[in-house]
Amino acid sequence: MRVVIPNELKIRYRYPARALGIAGAVLMVVSILLPWAYAPTALDDMTYYGAPSPLQLFFAILPVLVILLLAIPLVGKARLGKAAKIVAWNTSAKTASIMSLIVAAVAVTAIAIDLGGLINVELGGWLALLGGVIAVAATPFLPDSPEPTLYRVKSPKWLQILGIVILMALLLFGAAYILGFEDADDFLMFAAFVVGVVMVLRQFGVFGWLGIAAAANNRVLVLSAFVVAFAFPFTQNGSDANMSVASQVLIFAATALGLNIVVGLVGLLDLGYIAFLGAGAFTAAILSESAFSTIKWSPPFIVTVLIAGTVSSLLGLLIGAPTLRVSGDYLAIVTLAFGEIFRITMNNLDGNDGPNLTNGSNGIPGIPDLNLFGFDFGKAHVILGIDIGRFANYYWLMLVVIALIIVVFTNLNHSRIGRGWVAIREDELAAEAMGVNTFTLKLLAFAGGAFLAGVAGSVKAHYDVSVTPDQYVFLESAFLLAAVVLGGMGTVMGVLIGATILKLLPEKLRFFADYRLLLFGLLMVVMMRFRPEGIVPDERRQLEFHDADEELAEEVEEDLTSHHAHLNPEVGGFVL
Amino acid sequence: MDLVNLFFQQLINGLSLGSLYALIAVGYTVVYGIVQLINFAHGEIFMIGAFGAYATWMVLGQPSDWSAPLSILVLLPVMIIGGIVASVAVALLTERWAYRPLRNAPRLAPLITAIGVSVFLQEFVRLFYGYIPGFPDAKSAIAFPSVPGISGATIQVGGVLIQMSAVFTLAALVVCWVFLWYYVNRTKTGRAMIATSQDPDTARLMGINVDKVIMAAFAVGAGLAAIAGVAHGLRYGNIDFKMGFLAGLKAFTAAVLGGIGNINGAVVGGLVLGVVESLAATYLGASAWKDVWAFVLLILVLVFRPQGLLGAKVVDRA
Amino acid sequence: MGVTIEEAMKSVDSSGRDVLLDARNVTMQFGGLRAVNDVSLQVHSGEIVGLIGPNGAGKTTFFNCLTGLYKPTSGTVYFAGEPLPPQPRLVVRTGMARTFQNIRLFHNMTALENVMVGMYCRTKTNALDAVFRLPRHRHEEVASTERARELLAFVGLTGTENQLSRNLPYGDQRRLEIARALATDPKLLLLDEPTAGMNPQETRQAEELIFRIRDLGLAVLVIEHDMRFIFNLCDRVACLVRGEVLVEGVGDVVQNDPRVIEAYIGSPQTTPYEQPGPDSGKGASDA
Repeated sequence: MRVVIPNELKIRYRYPARALGIAGAVLMVVSILLPWAYAPTALDDMTYYGAPSPLQLFFAILPVLVILLLAIPLVGKARLGKAAKIVAWNTSAKTASIMSLIVAAVAVTAIAIDLGGLINVELGGWLALLGGVIAVAATPFLPDSPEPTLYRVKSPKWLQILGIVILMALLLFGAAYILGFEDADDFLMFAAFVVGVVMVLRQFGVFGWLGIAAAANNRVLVLSAFVVAFAFPFTQNGSDANMSVASQVLIFAATALGLNIVVGLVGLLDLGYIAFLGAGAFTAAILSESAFSTIKWSPPFIVTVLIAGTVSSLLGLLIGAPTLRVSGDYLAIVTLAFGEIFRITMNNLDGNDGPNLTNGSNGIPGIPDLNLFGFDFGKAHVILGIDIGRFANYYWLMLVVIALIIVVFTNLNHSRIGRGWVAIREDELAAEAMGVNTFTLKLLAFAGGAFLAGVAGSVKAHYDVSVTPDQYVFLESAFLLAAVVLGGMGTVMGVLIGATILKLLPEKLRFFADYRLLLFGLLMVVMMRFRPEGIVPDERRQLEFHDADEELAEEVEEDLTSHHAHLNPEVGGFVL
Repeated sequence: MDLVNLFFQQLINGLSLGSLYALIAVGYTVVYGIVQLINFAHGEIFMIGAFGAYATWMVLGQPSDWSAPLSILVLLPVMIIGGIVASVAVALLTERWAYRPLRNAPRLAPLITAIGVSVFLQEFVRLFYGYIPGFPDAKSAIAFPSVPGISGATIQVGGVLIQMSAVFTLAALVVCWVFLWYYVNRTKTGRAMIATSQDPDTARLMGINVDKVIMAAFAVGAGLAAIAGVAHGLRYGNIDFKMGFLAGLKAFTAAVLGGIGNINGAVVGGLVLGVVESLAATYLGASAWKDVWAFVLLILVLVFRPQGLLGAKVVDRA
Repeated sequence: MGVTIEEAMKSVDSSGRDVLLDARNVTMQFGGLRAVNDVSLQVHSGEIVGLIGPNGAGKTTFFNCLTGLYKPTSGTVYFAGEPLPPQPRLVVRTGMARTFQNIRLFHNMTALENVMVGMYCRTKTNALDAVFRLPRHRHEEVASTERARELLAFVGLTGTENQLSRNLPYGDQRRLEIARALATDPKLLLLDEPTAGMNPQETRQAEELIFRIRDLGLAVLVIEHDMRFIFNLCDRVACLVRGEVLVEGVGDVVQNDPRVIEAYIGSPQTTPYEQPGPDSGKGASDA
């Protein structure tokens, strides 16, 4: 697969390669001054001379990065000083040129498909492609840079905080921008651009540095993340469509985070997790003021939430207690069966085949909006002159739920219980022989995860207005699992990213919706084979999946020694 | 007298249903016995067997006017072979590309892969089966070809009316069981399977090609599942891309019921499950709940007799 | 047989020390194989007892019976006068901790974390304490970190606390396993071949470590093949052959017993020093 270029060639041609790379990148930058498309309907309007469209401008950032990464080292090692070594100039230039070629290719393909043929691609588009090809061809001849060591650089606290704040601001901007796309092609091109920039920064060593900064300023990170997430509805100018997607993403992410406790922290495969969400949703629906609810008692929502969580966790105990004694393998299949039992039961509790609790397959429609302390979630409110609609209200509520789940997740992980879970994953027999109550710990995770799903489900019932059995089927559990696997088992950040990607893609790429499950099935297989630790790996999980990788073990150890986060009980986790 | 007939009717019904489960359950049990993997995708292998048989029938030019003996002696075997080829090919591909690279990974990894394969195969058939020229769209159920002499035909034994499809299923199980017994106990590969299931490392040291043995296990399971797929098509008259999910779950229950890793156990477990389900639906009423009983049974078995009726080879590999 | 629990609780041997571990007529049968046959063994507090025997003699099986991993087919094990609870983790709580013949550390955890897992059964933080970061969580976390560091220092692993246990050298892994076992706060420590694979210098260090553990007031029961090591170390030695106790007594007696010598090398001409017997390997059959 990978073409290996001999080192002597790299040394001999390093200056021509550099020059050629810069030339290719300049071509790409110049290309945005020319029209790319024949007609304005493809992507955003790319038909003008000298007036690049927003997407073209974004695209140009990548070749500009290529130029910078290739040109700056030319000033010489002496003048660069430490900067010559601590970041990976050449490798990130390589990545940047590959990614700019990809983005250009996406754009050209989109134009050709939208307008009916390659004939509609104008000079600028071809120039961008040509420049990309030149840069991609030239940069492999540069000597490889060593692994970046930017993260070792001691930086002042204000700089670290600034870095985090900039990251968060970019995140907010990116999220608002990406949700704004109506057109699948625009979305794809922008997404390719974002992935490109992220990968270049990662190669360059910025993420390593940010990781250290984030660990050192844990609270700032969390606080700013929530400020950004909280501020998001204000960027949408009352657009309900986007807020609806955003709140669905949050509901999905909250559930995936709960599942991550079971799968990511304890290493148990729960394939009926959606049933716990469903149990919470049905409980909330039955206890709501809906005209169709079968129990005419409607406690305040706070009470309902607790009941919903309790019902789910009791079901979890019922399933987990017999199964967890036997073996982790059986849990997977029993939870799968439980998912089916749940669906069938909800369908059968219709008054014919059993007592009427759920109205059978019709479910419970007409669930009224939440009203918490006089705040009606169904009404739009005007805050700071911006319309905050129904979806935004639920979005904020889900943000609170997610915060709760993150606190539970992180604090349990960084405690005696979390250590017990790791020990169970590593060697269950040894853990038992060292006095760890493995059964209780597994049950705790299982029932606890179910509780959180129940809580999320009770909000979902009100958000969805109606609850029916066919919303809670096995494929949804598989979908959740895919989010956990893609993002990274055992991490909060990873699962948030994984859930966002998986929920956003089918929303924005309509043509893709029918192939959704096919691709997610494939995704699970491919991830397990090539990157089982996910996009954002938990270091320990990574080690478990790559057991023979001694180099990785050394790296992780070095990280542990430099963080010390887990050693100080005051640092790991959040204090409420 | 009627009550007796009803009982026997349901017993036969249960036995044929149980044979179906047993044929699938063998695949779970053989693979689990050797690599300790719950192959969630096995239900889909069963489904692909049915679709493979259907495809064979299409290739043969949708013969529907063959005489009964010709259909039973030529058409049905050819369809079965077509189904087996499809199932075995898919099973071996998944083994090679999805499971084998994960053989030393933490146990969670192959389980997740298995789920992925299962979802992928279902969706693949749903989306692309209809793309084959002349083939029906598989997004909803497809009517399974009727085989003259079996589909719809019945024989009368005493007061009991037996569907020919039930006879076929039972006969298929008996033939497969005999074949399995011979294969496992009397052939070199079969004995290598036993050795590998007891200690893969030692088996490897003794010169057994463990990769080959594992492939053989997947292939045998897939072959039986394909036969079950055809039996399912004949029994219910239609097939669809989702049919492997519930059948797979039930068959796994049967495998655990009999003792996972134990081939005879899978057969006995399948038959017991089929009979229990059939009798429960008749005598307990509430047919809407019939699928629930199987899973309740699964949980009860795990609580009270995790090693199953005939004893499991391995329950926990701590 | 025939001894009541009350008698057992009172039972004190001639030296006046309490009987800590009292295994009575323990038999363990696997199908047709009787791996341990009617073995009785006592360990007194503050005593170092050795368990020797050729490969496949049932030493590790006997260990597994003592620690609750196996339930003996017949016979009873009393610890501090009480019959042993049936589960390994409960055995640990009553005060008996072990190491494994083939090291079973949590190898993707750091040395410190490994030791802290050992402390699991002596801490009480529950899920709510941990989630809400209540005082109990914080106090226990600080205290157990402190104690884990002390234990690492005690076994001579100062400075390795943030190293992953898989990255530690072999000898250090053995010592870490001992530290992890000590973290459970045991009265009796069971060591399964603590010097297997060690060089003479490491073996001497291990010996010295076990003496220091004894000096803390713990009793130690140790399985070992290295004869010099075991006779230097132990107050009393029992020799297990084919699942039965052949001889039990002070080092010299066992060492010179012709039956022991025969069991090991088949001929009474050579002393066990020069030929440790056919068992220097790890011996899968013993596991």
